[in-house]
Amino acid sequence: MPSGTYTKELDLSIERVWNFVKDMDNWAPLVPGYMEHEILSDTQSTWTFKGDIGIMKKTVKLQVDITEWKEPSLVTFDLTGLNENFSGNGYFKAEAITEKQTSMTGNLDITANGMMGPMINTILKSFVPKTAEELTEAIANKIIEIETVTREG
Amino acid sequence: MVIRKEINWDLETDVIVLGSGGAALTSAILAHDQGAEVIILEKADQVGGTTAFSGGIPWIPMNRYMKDLGMSDSKEAAKKLISHLTGGKEPDPAMVDVFIDNGWRMIDYLHENTPVRFSVPAGYGDYYADLPGGVKEGRSLDPLPFPLNELGEWSEKIRRNPIFPPLTLEEGGAVDPSDIDFTIVAERMEQNITTMGRALVGGLFKAALDRGIETYLETPGKELVMNDDGAVIGVRAEQNGQDYYIGARKGVIIATGGFEWNKELVRSFLKGQITHPQSPATNEGDGLIMAMEAGASLANMGEAWWSPAFVDPTVEYEDRVYNQIDSQARTMANSIIVNKHGKRFANEGSTYMDFPKSFYTYDQTTQSWPNEPPVWLIFDQQLKDRALIVTMAPGEPAPDWVAQANSIRELAEKIEVDPDGLEETVNNFNKHAEHGEDPEFHRGTLFFEQFTTKFAGPKACLGPVSKAPFYALPIYYGALGTNGGPRINEHGQVINLHGKPIPGLYAAGNAAMGVLGPAYPGAGGTIGPALTFGYLAGIHAGNTSSREITKPLKATL
Repeated sequence: MPSGTYTKELDLSIERVWNFVKDMDNWAPLVPGYMEHEILSDTQSTWTFKGDIGIMKKTVKLQVDITEWKEPSLVTFDLTGLNENFSGNGYFKAEAITEKQTSMTGNLDITANGMMGPMINTILKSFVPKTAEELTEAIANKIIEIETVTREG
Repeated sequence: MVIRKEINWDLETDVIVLGSGGAALTSAILAHDQGAEVIILEKADQVGGTTAFSGGIPWIPMNRYMKDLGMSDSKEAAKKLISHLTGGKEPDPAMVDVFIDNGWRMIDYLHENTPVRFSVPAGYGDYYADLPGGVKEGRSLDPLPFPLNELGEWSEKIRRNPIFPPLTLEEGGAVDPSDIDFTIVAERMEQNITTMGRALVGGLFKAALDRGIETYLETPGKELVMNDDGAVIGVRAEQNGQDYYIGARKGVIIATGGFEWNKELVRSFLKGQITHPQSPATNEGDGLIMAMEAGASLANMGEAWWSPAFVDPTVEYEDRVYNQIDSQARTMANSIIVNKHGKRFANEGSTYMDFPKSFYTYDQTTQSWPNEPPVWLIFDQQLKDRALIVTMAPGEPAPDWVAQANSIRELAEKIEVDPDGLEETVNNFNKHAEHGEDPEFHRGTLFFEQFTTKFAGPKACLGPVSKAPFYALPIYYGALGTNGGPRINEHGQVINLHGKPIPGLYAAGNAAMGVLGPAYPGAGGTIGPALTFGYLAGIHAGNTSSREITKPLKATL
């Protein structure tokens, strides 16, 4: 199963990290290749993004179902392809290291199914970890940027 | 403009090759092997040009691989087939002889002097194997898989091929994708082993690297430099936005691909538009423009390697929606292709070169072009259930870019095709298709159609469009490349308007006139002549006496 986990430490309290992450609209545009998303309910949303799979780019639509919401440390979710035959899951985890330090982890696990599954999974083996890393990094950088502006302001 | 002034060269060499596709790399290798110093200038940020984008199959009569398998062939047979297909419209019949006489020599040379290897794909004959002179196997050669890691730091610089999975032609790289074993595909991808066009380019480029031939990416040739005698002695290229003058003591070989992405040139020379070229977007006719500026005579300008284009709008290649090369579904049972009037207009299973020729038909009665794309592939659930259509896999829901409806009339209304016309067409087609017949266009009777059904006979190509839901996909004007360009002789030299060679100027591949005119005899009808005339140009340029390229010029322009 193509999967990727990436951890980043931030010099911020877990509450501040959570404050940003809890609202999907804050970080949705940071998803690599993000095009649009729609929040259908507290637990369900649909996403459209352009995935760069090396040979070409593919517009992918998927549904995200949140399966667990443990404030301020864990969100788990399932992924289902709407225009492609794949499924998967992932989580976001925040752990307080100290009062002012937080470890932030993003995880993605996606498997393509169907006749072309073996080929697509080969592509996803590099795509999924890269996406997990890029998204976690982007969120971390955004939080730092906001916090810096807030402090300076 | 051609430059005629004294130049302080940034770099001097013997032969400059413009482009890095099959014709370019072959010419570079041959020029080097005659003792010349060679450099390659490539406009794109990747090596391989149109060849890497393609199936990489050269069509070569009397080649060594067919001989090894005991297959017989002759010049007379090959010429008979080509002559039938060109109908006398080839730009220079003598060049057909040159191609047949030298194609197999070129293959021998590559086999003996480079890592390039081919096999004969079983059951893959000429597209018109049933015509006099046609063969049912042997002339179309399949590049053997090539491990790109052998190219070291260049392994990631070979142009991505979005069309073909890393399978050989025989393994199914270009047939019904529903039959592909995707576990082999996955293994090859893991090991960075490639096939088809990328494999051919990989082998050729390895040969170029082994010879120390330098390649400059993102360095397009822009203008030719000529001396007082009218000989080409160099190129003004551009690199990082700066002029870069390179002198060439023996010659410049133009192998920059076609002009299918240059709307102005297409409008100037072709009989209609190409809205969806199926090639690298860098093919903008740079070489053609330079050759025209140097006074080249042109030939075969109204022709192209035609191909119907399909589109999955969710797939992009180099930041453009990718124009897919044809679809096997076009030739399969339980489908038809209609124009905006809902009428069929050709045998849907004819070759990808032949079918689009109908797009340009003019109806004298209605004073209109009735088959102008988009035309529509209409198919039913039976076909949907068994075939991979563009990127839509069997058993999966149709994506939103595929029109679908529960009745033919409703489908016609959705795609703005005449509903009465389409209903009548489908009813008529079904009536005959149920008996395995197509009295209107004789579907199933062409040799080419049997590739898809694995020679199951004419009736396997026919089936009614009868099981709802019904689907429609647009088909657009496409081309694998144009194949008109500067007129060339038996050495690949560019000929001027007075019938004389322009000293120091050569052309090959889609940048030159297509020596087969309107004919595309089989898989590799494009690359076979391209490699052959690249081979000839390389030999001649490499053996040319060096010209003085540093003396002051009298003329200025």
